[in-house]
Amino acid sequence: MLSLFLLLPFLGIIALNLPVKGRRDAAAFLYTLSLSIGQAIVVLFNPGDFWAKPDFWGGFFNLGLYADNLTFVMLLSIGIVVSTAVCVGWQTISDHRQRLNFYNLVLIALIGMNGTVMLTDIFSLYVFLEVTAISSFILIAFHRDLNALEGAFKYIVLSALATVLMLTSIAALLLFSGGTSFAAVSAAVKSNSGNVIVIIAVSLFICGLFIKGGLVPFHGWLPAAYSAAPAAVSILLAGIVTKVAGIYVLIRLVRDVFGPISEISSVLMLVGTFSIIVGALAALKQDNFKKILAYSSISQVGYIVLGLGCGSPLGIAGAIFHLFNHSIFKSLLFVNSAAVEKQTGSTDITKMGGLGSRMPYSNATNLIAIFSTSGIPPMAGFWSKLVIIMALWQMGHFTYAAIAILVSVITLAYLLAIQRKVFFGILPQELKHIKEAGIWIVIPAVTLAIIIIGTGLCFPLLFKSFLMPVSSFFK
Amino acid sequence: MVINIIILIALVTAALWTAMTTRLLRSAVGLAITSAILSILIFRLASPIAAVFELSVCAGLIFAIFIISITVTQRVTPEAFETRKKERMTKFWPLPIIVIIAAVVLTQIHFQTTFNLPAQTTPNDVKIILWNLRHLDLLGQIVILLTGAFGVVILFKEWKNG
Amino acid sequence: MNANMLLLPVIIPLLAGILILLVRRLRGIISLLATGSILIIAIALFKQQLTYSLPWLGFGIDFNLRLYPFSAFILLSITALSFLVMLYSCSFMQGKNYLNQFYAYFLITIGLASGAVLADNLVLMLFFWEGLLITLFGFIAIGGKDAFKTATKMFIIVGVSDLCMMIGIGIVWYLTGTMTISTLNVPLNTLGCTAFVLMMIGAIAKGGSMPFHTWIPDAAIDAPLPFMAILPGCLEKLLGIYLLVRITMDMFKLTPGSLLSSLLMIIGAVTIVLAVMMALIQKDYKKLLSYHAISQVGYMILGIGTCLPAGIIGGLFHMINNALYKNCLFLTAGSVEKQTGTTNLNKLGGLWSKMPVTAVCFLITAASISGVPPFNGFFSKEMIYGAALERGTIFYIAALLGSFLTAASFLKLGHAVYFGKRNQENENTRESSLPMLIPMIVIAAVCVFFGLYNRFAVSYFLEPVLAGQEFTEHTSTLLIALTVIVLIVAILHHIIGAIVNGSGVKAADHIHHAPVLSGIYDRAEKRFFDPYEIGLKIVSIASNILFFLDRAVDWIYDGFTVKLAYGLSGAIKRLNTGNYSLYIIWSLLGGLIILILMFKGFGS
Repeated sequence: MLSLFLLLPFLGIIALNLPVKGRRDAAAFLYTLSLSIGQAIVVLFNPGDFWAKPDFWGGFFNLGLYADNLTFVMLLSIGIVVSTAVCVGWQTISDHRQRLNFYNLVLIALIGMNGTVMLTDIFSLYVFLEVTAISSFILIAFHRDLNALEGAFKYIVLSALATVLMLTSIAALLLFSGGTSFAAVSAAVKSNSGNVIVIIAVSLFICGLFIKGGLVPFHGWLPAAYSAAPAAVSILLAGIVTKVAGIYVLIRLVRDVFGPISEISSVLMLVGTFSIIVGALAALKQDNFKKILAYSSISQVGYIVLGLGCGSPLGIAGAIFHLFNHSIFKSLLFVNSAAVEKQTGSTDITKMGGLGSRMPYSNATNLIAIFSTSGIPPMAGFWSKLVIIMALWQMGHFTYAAIAILVSVITLAYLLAIQRKVFFGILPQELKHIKEAGIWIVIPAVTLAIIIIGTGLCFPLLFKSFLMPVSSFFK
Repeated sequence: MVINIIILIALVTAALWTAMTTRLLRSAVGLAITSAILSILIFRLASPIAAVFELSVCAGLIFAIFIISITVTQRVTPEAFETRKKERMTKFWPLPIIVIIAAVVLTQIHFQTTFNLPAQTTPNDVKIILWNLRHLDLLGQIVILLTGAFGVVILFKEWKNG
Repeated sequence: MNANMLLLPVIIPLLAGILILLVRRLRGIISLLATGSILIIAIALFKQQLTYSLPWLGFGIDFNLRLYPFSAFILLSITALSFLVMLYSCSFMQGKNYLNQFYAYFLITIGLASGAVLADNLVLMLFFWEGLLITLFGFIAIGGKDAFKTATKMFIIVGVSDLCMMIGIGIVWYLTGTMTISTLNVPLNTLGCTAFVLMMIGAIAKGGSMPFHTWIPDAAIDAPLPFMAILPGCLEKLLGIYLLVRITMDMFKLTPGSLLSSLLMIIGAVTIVLAVMMALIQKDYKKLLSYHAISQVGYMILGIGTCLPAGIIGGLFHMINNALYKNCLFLTAGSVEKQTGTTNLNKLGGLWSKMPVTAVCFLITAASISGVPPFNGFFSKEMIYGAALERGTIFYIAALLGSFLTAASFLKLGHAVYFGKRNQENENTRESSLPMLIPMIVIAAVCVFFGLYNRFAVSYFLEPVLAGQEFTEHTSTLLIALTVIVLIVAILHHIIGAIVNGSGVKAADHIHHAPVLSGIYDRAEKRFFDPYEIGLKIVSIASNILFFLDRAVDWIYDGFTVKLAYGLSGAIKRLNTGNYSLYIIWSLLGGLIILILMFKGFGS
């Protein structure tokens, strides 16, 4: 039944592009929204037997998909973030044709991401990463202004580099494995450990994923792409696309295919820590709302990779939990940046101030997201960071743990700078007329804030039932 | 063997055309044709799975490159277009020569691979591979094609108008 | 008699205090009912021996109350004086601010004081003792604009001494393994002596002895007057001296002639002389009295410090006498303040005819405190003199000097307030209202009664405290004659001083301006010798140094780190040029490094 996650968006695209008269954009909006929300709800409440059943239409569409707990976490995040982006897109894009195109591309991205998290074949992985990436290129360049084209171009160039690296790696791995399935590649890597070509292949693949995930020093494209993209696309991109394309695949491959080899672990921890520090420091001096969030994204992804590099079940569980939390709180931050951008027409935080009195929902939800990002209890982000740091401590990586804690402070510093410069302080004269940005921005913002607090408060409940099983079949 | 060599020559010709043509669209079509000929060649050399992969990669790369080109290039003026058309032959004349020299050199060298390649496990029929084993990739390829179409619709078409 | 009765003197005032805070009206009636009822209970409990026990914190710390002659006597004194001052307050406090708080603090203080007296467990006693610190703070803090500063000063001084006592209790527990006061018998080894000194600090600081006295004169100006009358005037003396007697007699069993006994006597003698010297030069009714409140503690400590039965009885007798007359003196001060609006001696005078009852009460109690026969102060002082002389002539001389200066200062006070030339502003002054006069009259009458029937008072109230120890009075005709001579000299000195200096207020100014003394006085008035002020100076110097260090450390965090972070941030920003080929180069370099790392990892 897992193929429904691919087929429903696919059928949707076909249906929405039939030459029918009427408000096709509204239909597209409703379809995409209900599909993504439905995905989140269905995954949340029925993760069990239903999905394990074969498709009822027989073998034809038996796509060899596979879902474990990690997959379900990712499907849930995808559902939440895509529905958020869909809502914000309705509010921020006004042209009917553009809306329709936007939803078509979102559906394609949805297919790409859903496929990426469910497949079990290293070559199919490449195909679906391409689906996701190409739809993202077009989405970034959606408005065709110069900045956006530049951002899209950088993404394309570096993404192409990543593709080349991954394809080379796949080709090299094929030399040793009989097939391209995860199982075959995993067996080949294990039986040929120490082989020069395998090491090169694994390294190249990981480098490709680092580029996709935007880790330092592979992050060059990320700030430009995030900040140049339209508001709704930023949410999609920062919230989930790069997380699925880079980080999820990294987790999946390191955990299930390459195995947590100590060399990979040390590389992951090094790159993760480097990203944490550089991302946080770079964010300190930015004046652009979305650029700060972009660098913050690099830093937070660093935490995830650090937890993954730790290698213990607790560390991987923490990494996955932080991945989930990050997609929620970063989406919320980008939703608020979208609200501010829509109402003031700018993302330059030095020109703002005192918007909190005018936009109370954005103000409150932004504060919640900031607290979650900086890891302040009882927000969800606190728990995931805590788990990661505890895992590091358990494995004896005290320096990394200390850095992780220290950088949390810098995180709080640059995020509070946003809050202070945008929402607190004195309202400039020219912004007196500002109102809350429409209902389709407020609803997702509040929903995401509730998810953050709810996850944070229910953490003790989630830890045993949801979090630890994620890494339970750790091999 | 003769057929294979004919295909090889066709492949080289298509690749050269792709590189030397003046229009983006022709270039892209040329790339597609090259890719298709290469797939046929690989299939004839009894490696159907590689042939399928080649098709997949090209479906992705073509459109990636296609859209890159579209988004970063400017339309040239007719005069510049004419001069470029003339320069083309002078600019690309080394290319065929390099190809021929490379071919001669390569035929003289015997590659010695030391890899112990694992036994072939997949059936030797491209239809079975494409429809039974790799249909997830097929879906992906279709979606990539769709995406490319949207890219053209959204970026290229309206770019031309604007 | 039911042992549960013991809880009532603690619980009734506490509940009444909370009730006043909640109900916010009928405070006078509630307060009088509460204090009156516990007075009746205290009378009923007098001469009883009861114990009450309730499991409390565990570890040998139980809610133990014990009533025996000594605590019953103190309880009776506390409740009786509280009732009288409460009656006085109902009239005096009319129209003042923070009335609810005042009554609540008053009642809670009584409850806690009763608890502290009855407690038979050191931790329980400490619990009530520390509670008193809080109400004391509240009492002073509601006084006025400078009151909060004084309250803080008091809190630090008393808090530190209470901390000493806490440590002392800890040592006692370590030494004996029990907290029950009635079973304690602490050996006087080095640690035991330390414990004694620490607990003694707690006790005499509560009593207001030097050098823990400096908050009292400040509070005299800031705090409401009934507070001065009830707390430093009587309750604190009762509690402090009660505890001092308990530790010297029961817990540690000091012997006459021991080092600790001498230490106590020195503290007593120094307190008597220095405090009364300060009292002599005061120009304010309440402040003058407050220094006497300190000075009189010296007599009690001196008497108890002798460790002779006569000295202890003398000290205790002086304690109860002091509680009576000092209380009454403060009440007369309140009466004058209420009617004239001032307590500045320069603005007062000739009130004799306007406020005759107050004046008579003042005269009786002033004679008592100066030790004029046949009032009660004379007899208690004589007992202390005798005991002091037995331990050392120097102590006797100090006590006698104190007596002389006390008499001199009260002659000055009485002259300045009630006699002499009347101030123009006080022409319309009238006698105070009846609720204020009754307590004064009652207390003055008790003073006279205790003077005339001093044998009865001693044998009925105090001798049971000694629990069978025989005591012999050391007094003799010679001592009495010397005392009388000193008093006559004081009177003569005052008359001559008044004539030479021009008025009653200035009668003692020649002492103030004496060559060496004037400098000392000036410095003392500027609080040069105040340990609190000295402490504050040291603290401020230390805090300056620490502040400097802190700035330095702060700069590392706040300046250096931030600069570093921003510098790095700027560098990263400059590196992100936006040139995609540069990004590709980075990525390739990163990939190269990762490859090297992977190979290095596999190689090793």
